[in-house]
Amino acid sequence: MIVGCGRVGSQIAAEMDRTGHDVTIIDRDPNQFSRASQRGVLTNDFKGNQVVGNGTDAEVLRRAGVEDADGFVAVTEGDNRNIMAAQIAKHVFKVPRVVCRIYDPERAEAYEKLGLHTICPTIDGAKRIEKTLLQQ
Amino acid sequence: MYVIVVGGGTVGYYLSRDLLDRGHEVTLIEKESRRADWLETQLGSIVMRGDGCEVKFLSQTGIERADAIVAVTADDEDNLIALQMAKRHFNVKKTIARVNNPSNVEIFKMLGVDDAVSATEILLGALEPPITT
Repeated sequence: MIVGCGRVGSQIAAEMDRTGHDVTIIDRDPNQFSRASQRGVLTNDFKGNQVVGNGTDAEVLRRAGVEDADGFVAVTEGDNRNIMAAQIAKHVFKVPRVVCRIYDPERAEAYEKLGLHTICPTIDGAKRIEKTLLQQ
Repeated sequence: MYVIVVGGGTVGYYLSRDLLDRGHEVTLIEKESRRADWLETQLGSIVMRGDGCEVKFLSQTGIERADAIVAVTADDEDNLIALQMAKRHFNVKKTIARVNNPSNVEIFKMLGVDDAVSATEILLGALEPPITT
């Protein structure tokens, strides 16, 4: 289950669908699905479910099938929304694998310490750019 | 009692004003600068501009000696994260949230918030007839 159908969310959804996983992708903005389709990411071949709804609403997640999910990814544009959705998946619905994107390095570190699997693109991106720059 | 209020909307404003009237010490945190300016004209220097979810900012509010923190922004996720930071980083004894989605009352408690209040739930309770056995 993926919350957030932006560039990253739709990319993960399309890739995992292609490799044979059952995918549900949720976004509160229905336009995000058509944008992903226009970008050629979520094409007509996509076999997963697209759900319009708020990914921090436990009832929305339950109806979308979170209780059967093996993995959960929170990649909306809002750090706090991602943190909340990921914690609901992990602590309320006991999803075994949960990954959460947090842009703010300080918040990412805090929630990583609390046991949430966190990806911080700010730190990761900066490190990679710096490394590439120094290699040239 | 020293209380930190996160969110200077209508609820945060009246809550802070009433707490001050009752003789408590209050810091009111508001992110939006223009709203904070207005709040300052009403409540004086108790207003601080910043993001109540940020640890560095919270550490400037005297949060270590706060008796309670109340998060009353219009976004449930912001309230949750502010209170989790207050609890886990600064060990604030009492954390209280306003929630907009009534099902978050139980969820917030599962995620470590001491108390959560839903206006929707209170209104529903007021509308429903009392249980008679």
